[in-house]
This record gives sequence, C-alpha cells and structure tokens, in this order.
Amino acid sequence: MRFLGSALVSFLVLAGKVLTKSSSGDSVLVLLDPSLSRANYSIFFGGLEQQGYDLTFRAPKHASPAIAEYGVPNYSHVILFTPDTKSYAPDVTPQSLVGLLSENTNLLIALSPRQTPLTSLATEFSLILPPPGTPLLSHHPKRPEPANVIPVSVSESPILTPDTNPVWFSGVPHALGNSPYLVPILRAPSESFAADSTDDSGSGTILSASDKGGEGFWAGSHIGLVTGFQTTKNSRAVFAGGVELFSDEYAKKALPSGQRSGNAQFARDVAAWVFQETLTLRIDRTEHHRVNETAAPEMYTINDQIVYTAYISAYDRKTSSWKPYSGITDMQLEFTMLDPHVRIALPPVSGEPGKYEVQFRAPDRHGVFKLVVGWRRKGYSFLHTTTTVPVVPLRHDQYPRFLSAAWPYYAGAISTSVGFFLFSALWLAGDVKGEKKNLKGVKSE
Amino acid sequence: MPTAYPLPKDLSPAIVTNTASLLRIIALGLISGAAIASRLFAVVNFESIIHEFDPWFNYRATRVLASKGFYEFWNWFDPTAWYPLGRVVGGTIYPGLMATSGVIYNLLHALHLPVDIRNICVLLAPGFSALTAWATYMFTKELKDESAGLLAAAFIGIVPGYISRSVAGSYDNEAIAIFLLMFTFFCWIKALKQGSAFFGTIAAVFYFYMVAAWGGYVFITNMIPLHALVLLLMGRFSSRLYVAYSTWYAIGTLASMQVPFVGFQPVRTSEHMAALGEHSSSMYQLIFIHLTLTGVFGLLQIVAFAQLVRSHVSSKQFQELLVSAVISAGVMGFFAIVALTYKGWIAPWTGRFYSLWDTGYAKKYIPIIASVSEHQPTAWPSFFMDLHFLIFLFPAGVVMCFRALRDEHVFVIIYAVMASYFAGVMVRLMLTLTPVVCVASAVAMSSLLDTYLDPKEPDTDEQKGRSALVGTTSASIGTSATAAPVAAPKKTKKTKEKEAPVAPGGVLGDLVSGVASSAAAAVQASETASTSKSTKGIFGLDTRFAVIMNTIGLLLFFVLHCTWVTSSAYSSPSVVLASTSPDGSQHIIDDFREAYYWLRQNTAEDAVVMSWWDYGYQIAGMADRPTLVDNNTWNNTHIATVGKAMSSPEEVAYPILRKHDVSYVLVIFGGLIGYSGDDLNKFLWMVRIAQGVWPDEIQEPNYFNKGEYRVDDRASPTMRESLMYKMSYYRFADLFGAQQPMDRVRGQQVPAKGPTLDYLGEHSVGFRCRGNVSNSSSADEAFTSENWIVRIYEVKKDDILGRDLKIANAFSEGKKRKRSKPVSRRKAIRGW
Repeated sequence: MRFLGSALVSFLVLAGKVLTKSSSGDSVLVLLDPSLSRANYSIFFGGLEQQGYDLTFRAPKHASPAIAEYGVPNYSHVILFTPDTKSYAPDVTPQSLVGLLSENTNLLIALSPRQTPLTSLATEFSLILPPPGTPLLSHHPKRPEPANVIPVSVSESPILTPDTNPVWFSGVPHALGNSPYLVPILRAPSESFAADSTDDSGSGTILSASDKGGEGFWAGSHIGLVTGFQTTKNSRAVFAGGVELFSDEYAKKALPSGQRSGNAQFARDVAAWVFQETLTLRIDRTEHHRVNETAAPEMYTINDQIVYTAYISAYDRKTSSWKPYSGITDMQLEFTMLDPHVRIALPPVSGEPGKYEVQFRAPDRHGVFKLVVGWRRKGYSFLHTTTTVPVVPLRHDQYPRFLSAAWPYYAGAISTSVGFFLFSALWLAGDVKGEKKNLKGVKSE
Repeated sequence: MPTAYPLPKDLSPAIVTNTASLLRIIALGLISGAAIASRLFAVVNFESIIHEFDPWFNYRATRVLASKGFYEFWNWFDPTAWYPLGRVVGGTIYPGLMATSGVIYNLLHALHLPVDIRNICVLLAPGFSALTAWATYMFTKELKDESAGLLAAAFIGIVPGYISRSVAGSYDNEAIAIFLLMFTFFCWIKALKQGSAFFGTIAAVFYFYMVAAWGGYVFITNMIPLHALVLLLMGRFSSRLYVAYSTWYAIGTLASMQVPFVGFQPVRTSEHMAALGEHSSSMYQLIFIHLTLTGVFGLLQIVAFAQLVRSHVSSKQFQELLVSAVISAGVMGFFAIVALTYKGWIAPWTGRFYSLWDTGYAKKYIPIIASVSEHQPTAWPSFFMDLHFLIFLFPAGVVMCFRALRDEHVFVIIYAVMASYFAGVMVRLMLTLTPVVCVASAVAMSSLLDTYLDPKEPDTDEQKGRSALVGTTSASIGTSATAAPVAAPKKTKKTKEKEAPVAPGGVLGDLVSGVASSAAAAVQASETASTSKSTKGIFGLDTRFAVIMNTIGLLLFFVLHCTWVTSSAYSSPSVVLASTSPDGSQHIIDDFREAYYWLRQNTAEDAVVMSWWDYGYQIAGMADRPTLVDNNTWNNTHIATVGKAMSSPEEVAYPILRKHDVSYVLVIFGGLIGYSGDDLNKFLWMVRIAQGVWPDEIQEPNYFNKGEYRVDDRASPTMRESLMYKMSYYRFADLFGAQQPMDRVRGQQVPAKGPTLDYLGEHSVGFRCRGNVSNSSSADEAFTSENWIVRIYEVKKDDILGRDLKIANAFSEGKKRKRSKPVSRRKAIRGW
C-alpha cells in the first residue's frame, strides 16, 4: 500500500508534471563523507533531484564549493552526511552552521556513535548525546540482524505520513533537553538502550547504571533517534542518530514481520519537513481598524471597538505556492502594554479561507499598545507578528457635554446668575436714597 | 535757597518734566538693550541652539504647536515618551511658553517674516527679559519713584540670578514667568492702591497667564492672599483691599482652572501643586498653603460684612465681639481643613512640600526629588555670585520699606521674607528671590542717591523748589528718622557714615512706630517730616562727591561682575561643552549631538532608547527616538525600573530591557575627558530610586566598599556586576594599552581587565557579523562618541536557538561547553 503510494508519487514525479519544491529555495549542498557510497543513497538523493532540488555534492574536507561567500549562504539547504568526519574544511564549524541557520538555511545532520565536531554542535540544540561509542542496541524483536540494527515503529506526528511502516535504524540515540524548540520525530523503542558493546558482557554495567537511578542511562522510549529543531527564525534542522536511516540498503530491507520498511517514506517526510515543504505557515498580512471603518487609524482612542484581521497562508508543496490556510483553531490575539490587557481567541472566518478576524474593545487605558499574535506549535512554523498602535485618551471635545451628576453645579451656577441679575436690577432700579447711604458707608472706611 | 551746586533757574517745569520723561524712556530703552545683549553670550560663543534638558522638550512641543495648530497640540499624545506608557502632553504641561512662541511665530509669518521657530525659541528669553525690566520698573515706581524704578530695571536686567535662567537658548518656563510674576504683582499693587476692579482683573488675567506658563504660579497664589491676610491683621482692611482681592480671587481662580494641567487643583490640593507636577521645570513647591487663598477670601467677606454691620450698628463692644468671632471662625476653619485633609477630601501635603521645611526630608524619603541638583540647599557663595552687591543692599531696602510701610511696602516685606527663606532651601528658588532683591536694593540705592544728589543744603527753612527727583520716601530718609515730633532737634553732625538713616536704633523705632501706626498715619508722618525744618543733612560737595563716587564704583563693579558671570558660568548650552587649552584656545566638545545624530541616522525609527531620565528630552528632541523615561518624572516606578536595570547584573537587566522593547541603551561616561556630570556619578541616585521600589533586590550599601564609592579594583562585586559599571568601562582599558587605565572623574585607576558584556552589544549571532573564527565580536558597543562621553549599546535579540545569551556567546567564541547529562525523568525500577 505504502509502496504503491510512493511508487505513484515517483511515477508522477518522473512524468514531470508535478515538481514539489521547498518554500525557501532549491539549492542543496550535500557534504558526503568519502567513506559513504553515493550509490547507497540513490533513492534519497534521487528522490530529491526528481522533485526538482539542485544537489551539489562535496567532500567535507574540500574547500569548494563554499557554503557561504561574503557572509551570504550559497545554498538554501545543507545536508551533512558526514557521521564519522573528524575534520572539515575551515568553512564548516559548529559556529558557522549555527550562522547558516540564522540566515534561514536548513540543516539535515546525521550523527554517529563517534565523537565528531557535530557532536558538540548537537549540544547547542539541547540534544544530549551518550558517551562516544555507545550505539543504540535492542534485542527485540527476535531477528537475524545484529542488535544495533533495530526496526523502530513510527509514532504519530504531523511531520510524517500517517501509517508509515517501521523503519530500520542504526546509530546513536540522544536525550532531549528542555529546549521548547525541539520537535521529536522518531523515538527509540522502549526496550532499546545505548551501550558500548553488542554482546551481553556489558549488561552488568547497564544494570548498575539503571540501579543508580536512571541518571546517565540512555534507555527507553523517552530518548530520541531523529529530532527536529525549529529556530526562532523558522529555519529548521534535523539531527538523525545514524546516516544508514537514509540508505538504499535500509529502504529495501524487509522488516522482521515481512513488510517493506518505511525508511524511504520516512526519509522523504523528514527531508520535506526540514526543507520547509510541509507544515510551513506564514502570516501574509495583518489589518486593524475601527469597527465600521476600513483604513487603519494612526492612533486609537480608549474604548474603541477594534477589528483585527490576520491572513495566514500555508505552503502547498504540490503546487509550490502559498495557499490560504484556515486550519488553525487555537490562535490568540493579545493587546499588550507591558502585560496583555486583552487576550482573546483569533478564530478563522468561515467562508473566507486564510482569514482570521476578531473584534474587541480597547482597554480604558492610554498608552502604546502592541497587537501581538504568537502561535507556536511543535513542527509548525512559528507565527509571530507585532503591530504597535498608540491608544490615546479622549480629545477635549469628545467628553460628554452634560453630566447628570453635575446638577448641583449647574444649579449653583444658574442660581448665582439669576441672583446676580436680580441684584443688578434691584441695584440699578432701586431708589437713590439707599445708594447714597451705601456710598457714605464706603467713604467712612 | 542755598544749594550745594548751582541749578539752572530759567527752566520751566514743563521742560523739566518732559526732559525727565524723555531720559526715562531712553534709559529704559538702553536697559532693555543691555538686558537682551548680555543674554546673547551663549549665541555668540556657541551658536543658536536650545540649551540643557527641559528646553528641548519645550522646543519640541513648540514645533508641534507651530506645525499642527493649537487644538492638535492640546490633544497631543506623545507615544514616544515614557514608552510604552506614552504621555498626554496637552494635559501635563504648562502651555503658556509654547503658546507665546506660537503666537509670535504666527504673527511674524503673517507679516511675511519667515523666522525659524528655533530662533524664536532661542531668543524668547532675552526678549522677555526686556519686558521683565519694564515690569520691574513699573512695580518699583509704585513703591517709590521713577528713579528707583530705573535702578531696579537696570538691576534685574543684568543680575546673574535672573540671567542664569534666561540666556538665549534657555527656552524654559522661567523665561517668561518672571515677567509675568512681576507684572502680576504690579497690577495687584496698583489694584490695591486704587481699589480698582480693573487692575484687579488685569492682575487676574496675568495670573492666569502665569498659571498657564509656570508651576511657580503657586508663589503668586500664596503671596497675594498672604499680603491680604497681613493687611487684615494689621487692621488695614479697606474697601480697596476688598475690591482688589475679590476681583483677583474670583477671576484668577476661575481662569486658572481652565489650564488642563491645573484643573481643579486650586480647590483640591492643599499645597496647590500636583503630585505629578513637572519635576524640574515646574516643581516649584513654593510655599505655604492654599488655605490662605480661599481662607483669606472667606475672611475678607466676613470682615467686609462685619464692617458693613458695624457702620450700621456702631458699637465698640460689638467690634471686640466681632474680632473674637473672626478668630474663632478662623480656628474652626483651620480644624475643618485638618479634618478634610484627614478624611482625604483634600490632598495632603506631598513630599516636595515637606522638603521645603526639612531639607533632609527628600534625601531620606523621596530620592527622586533629592536627585535633582537644583533642589539642593543653596550654598552661601552662590548668593554673592548671583546677586553681587545687591545682597548687601537688600536688607537696607527692606528696612526702608518698613519706614514707609504703605500697603505695597508690606507686600515687598512679605515677599522678601518668604523668598529669602525658600532661596535658602533650594538653589533654583534663587530665581524668585532675585526680583525682590533688585526692587529692595533699588529702593535703598535710589534713596542714597536722592539724598546725596539733592542740592539742598540743610540749614535753611525753605523747602520750595525741591528737585523733581526727590520723592516723599527719600525725603523722609534724608531728614529726621522718626518724624519731627518724636526726634528732638539734635546738633548737626557731619555724617560720614552714609548709612546713617539705617542706624539700628532708628530702625527699631521705625519698626515699632511703623507697625503701630496705620498706613495713612505713616504717609502723613512722612509728609510732615518732609515739610518740617531739617537741621541735619549733607553739607558741601566733598561728602556728596565721595559717596556718589563710591556708589558709581559699586555699580561699575556690579556690571563687571554680571558680565563676567554671565559669559563664563551661565552661557554654556550644556549640550555643547567647551574646554580651554593651556594656550587659551577653545576646544568644543560636541559628543552629545554627535551621538544623538548617530541614533537618528542609524537606528530604526521606532527603536526604543533607554537612558537615565536626564537625557530623555534630549534624545526625543535631537534623536527623535522613543525613550523609556524623560525629565518629566511623573511615574516613579517607571524611573525605578530603569534604575533597577542600570544597577542590576546583565542577566537580571536583560528581561527588563526586553519587556520594554529596548533596542539601545545610552550611558554618559566622563571618565576619559573628566566630564563630571556623567552617569556613574549619578549612579547612586539610580540605586536609591530603585531601592525605593525594590528594597529586596537593590540595596545601596552593596555598591560601596566599606562605605567608599569606588570604581577601581576595590569596587564591590555588586558594583562591578552592575550594567552601568560594565557599560561605562567596557573596553575602556583597551584605550590605555599597557598603562593602567585611569578614570579622570573619580580619580581612580580602574582594573586593567575590563568588564565583558553578554546581553548588550553588537548582534553577534548573525552569520554576516562573524568570520569563521569569532573573536571579540560577542559584544561591541554600538557607538561611542569622540570623547567617550556618550556610549550607546545595542540590546541583543534572543538567541535563535533559544539559548541563554551568555552560553551562546561562549559557543560563538569557541569555548567548549561542559557535557550535560540527560534530565532524569524517572527512577529505574528495582529488581526487574
């Protein structure tokens, strides 16, 4: 069934009708260790090329073609199938690879049980590797293959095609640190563990390690084999515990159950994610305005009814284009000044794909507010947008003119006016005698 | 009539009068010219530029007013101030100054004179100083005569105490406020003298103008009622007082409530001053009580009523009854005020009010007030510096006011006493003392000159043909001290001491007699004195010559002193600094404008700049960038937040900076060229203000090493970790190479290994900023001005991998990280 599906896909690709490409670019640099035969990875690389990717191969020690020139990366994606390489050309260092990520270049990295510069790079991504030379071992299920070649069943993940067959894995596991940017893709089987020898002579050490309380004990399903990482700039990296995962050998190898292995599909899915083909979202634009208006005002007044709209697209790999996307149901909008004053759901508008809209009342507080949409889900591109809008108090002519609470003052003003009028009238119309008397009074001071 | 020197006989009185008036006009014109010219040192020495801090805000506000019109200005909400709180400018300023400039600007443009608004702002203060001289002339003329008026005008025109606030470019509220103050007082005196509702109204109108222009209006608010109260207590109630005060009070109070910033404060606040008053420009916490304002008004009504009743009833006992009734009413009113304050209906006295009485109060409880240098108690030398010989003549003038003691003299006496006290409490209140010093000194000096210029020889009976120059008051001074009936005719002495009239005994007698007798009696006494025979006086020309020469010498030195002080001390824009090299050549230090211009050109328009609040207005005015805090300090917590960020370690400060969207941090550092007004010297105030809000996190003693404020090797760890210290000395040591770096302000040697910054500096994670081997790129200041006075740092963005910036920096510098262990999720199950 799966085979049929992938065969269909390759047929379509071969037919040249549909090219599925990445949203961030087609050029791929592959750093391939000389010890690895390119022919053994023909399914993976061939698949990428058929999709339209432009693959450039290079040995890790060769200086050209350069990854980056004048600080600008030359490739959109870099694959490092150099699990055992100890020394690289000077332009490949852990620092420069992190630099590539900050320039929105994606990385697909294969690790191995050997200690290499990539091991220390993995540490920066909050992956914790076991001591050198401790591959993942498992004795279950019973199979003719050695203990370090393990069929791993694939758990549900938005990254992977559903119902992918178990994959063959051989390599090093890693524990996951507490970075929120990690996206676990493939977990180790619960009965597997990392140890430095394939025979059972070291089992006593493992037992005592587990007795100590699990600390430093790489075992069980909480450790990862293939783990993605999405940076705050939405560039992606994948660390795979072994490069054989992507090989033709494993792709063709039958599982102990007799099924065909899911490696080819898995490798394809992982590459699709890391090359930003799938689960790639973006905010096209945001709009905000007062209710019943269309243009965004320079500033809002307190208690205004504000309408906020966001247009979100997802990348469609089939057509290589961005399509409106209404699938997010848990997005929120915050109206923030130091702290969120308003935090409400920003739901999709039914009937208008890609449009999310909400109306809310500005708080009774002036200041410089930010309209913040922050949506972070594992595997998906992070959506984040900030719009700064000042909220101002009422203008001098916007206050209510007449207050019922002020009646005492109105009454006072009116009565004083009337009194003054009456007094003036009496004073002016009064008899002259009284006036003279009064004048005298003043003079006598 | 024997005269000391011959007088022309054939002059008609009309010629004398006309010549005198012409001379007066010429003199006033020259005084105005001198007043304006002496304020132009700043423009000549530097350029036509707005000075200092507050004027920059006023200038910015005026530009808004000029370009957008008055209504937009009134409703102006400035989103760039107090980010992110914003500032309702229209409701939190005294708009009088901006409105004045706006009117002048529009007037000139209506006349097709396209004058730049900046030049109007720069030259407004000198222009108004000429008007001040005229207002002082009018005021003093009411007090004595025209010659005293001219002297007073000349004094106020060039006295440093006033120039310090009104040089060209010092575009602050005080620039127009002193004119308004003097003119309001003149109108009040005029209204009181004539019992004129017209002048009362004019006084109220100018009072309104004053309220709209300056927070110091409380000085008038309290002076006039106090004057009325004192007159009342002296038994000088008259219908003139009643008319003048009632007119002024009713119109003035109603008008003052129309200023949005003042609003209902006239009837609500005890001290009649907002708790959120503008700090430096208007924090004129003068004075006593609002109680006087309304209280005196009420009292006047009662007394007027009582007078009315008395005129009808005419019973002596009734009067006594009335007095006791008035007193008990006053006491009851007092208790009512206390009760209202207690209940919270009337705002209780705020800190600034207390700080006027107890000079140590502010430092203990409200550091934000004490941190302003203008609010420190005045040092004695500055009295001489600002007033020169006027400070010696001032008491003499006050004593002469006691001798005449008409209503207006009582006013001057009260003014002198109050202003003297407050000038002693706060440096900046010297400004309110200056006018009364000029007036009183002018009275004294003009009396002296009158006496010694008067050609009349004393031993004659004739009193006709007195010089027009001699007024009644001077006559009373020139002749016998305490009126003829009391003083027995003594043998004439050759008075070599020129201050004979101010001999102590005479003064005391005057005081007693003056207080005892009513104003009318006093005037009468002086009249009789002038007409009575005089047997003592000045004989011959030699005495006259000596004294006059002496006086002229004093005046000359006064002019020299004023010119010197003005040119050297008060004409620095403080935005541009000048230093003089040993050979006398001047070197201009323009770091501030350099840095602000850098900000303007190189940063995003909405990039928020954090600095200590002193520089907020300048950044807004010159760099046009949003600031966290500025010189309008209405929100103590916000300032304390900045203080906390400055005095905390980087990792504590960083979240604060990020929360407030701060992009750049600006510090002033004078350690390289010895500019002592830098942030490290203000640092303890930041600590104190932050401590006031977060006493658990910031503690002042932690910044000291055994009670010493140090920046060198012995600086306390808290001090060395603080953001302010780090930003000040970041890469400072590099400048000195192998030598020991030296801070020229503190006079201390700072450590050769400077602090490092992780959370500020150049954005380092970016690929393009770094080579393959990243060296020292982790933190560079964004900008440092030529003389290192202004240093600007960029706040880094979050790491793209979500790491702590310290770790990220260590990584990009290639440091090995310690191997981490996986987080223990569960205990292994035993016994499987």
